[in-house]
Amino acid sequence: MPRRASSTAALPIAYAVLRILTVANWLMGAAILALLVVMPNEQWIMAAFKLSPSPDAGRLIMGLRAVAVLGLVGIPLNYVVLKRLLAIVLAVRAGDAFVAANAVHLQAIAWALLGLQLLSLVIGAIAKAVSSPAHPVHLDAGFSISGWLAVILTFVLARVFAEGTLMREDLEGTV
Amino acid sequence: MAIAVKLDDLLHDRRMTLTELADQVGLTLANLSILKTGKARAIRFSTLEAICGALSCQPGDILRFEPAAARKRSASR
Repeated sequence: MPRRASSTAALPIAYAVLRILTVANWLMGAAILALLVVMPNEQWIMAAFKLSPSPDAGRLIMGLRAVAVLGLVGIPLNYVVLKRLLAIVLAVRAGDAFVAANAVHLQAIAWALLGLQLLSLVIGAIAKAVSSPAHPVHLDAGFSISGWLAVILTFVLARVFAEGTLMREDLEGTV
Repeated sequence: MAIAVKLDDLLHDRRMTLTELADQVGLTLANLSILKTGKARAIRFSTLEAICGALSCQPGDILRFEPAAARKRSASR
């Protein structure tokens, strides 16, 4: 059966996007690292956020530092997701979707996504804790139903791939 | 696996080569070779039927349950 044009184009597009996202992830890591290096200079942060010296401002700066450190922790987790997804795309392009390696890749992606969701929860909690009416903090972090669904879905998919691999091995060994 | 394939013995008794059997049952020589060397994970009833037909034998003549041989193989791994 001929493959549809959209499905044949999906893999090269996914490959290119994943490559771009990998570079973007490292750039984001470098940016966060730079931010952490600059952050010890409280005067600079006060000026950038137009803060006046107060206990609230001190708490906000501490919170932002913590968020930056957690953001840095997220970089290797993002890298795991992107690298493993790229490996799956390459395997599927080679015509080998149901192989044991892909099940392992999906399992690793699921754990990384779980880690990212936990990080997001902590970042959301920090943002809420340091936010004040005078200096409101709005971060796109916290509990996300779609994020947790993605974690569950990926764990299930990893299991499906593991089962699929066993079935394929059985089929290949059937005479 | 404790299931041993006795295809070699049957072919020897019938003075038949694996290639001739492959031609008769409509299987590839590679697949039949996998079965003969005990590397197959499963066998279809249709394959068993075709081999039994070609060799005029019963499934039990082709397959044998040998738990001792399996234990020896797993111990040597």
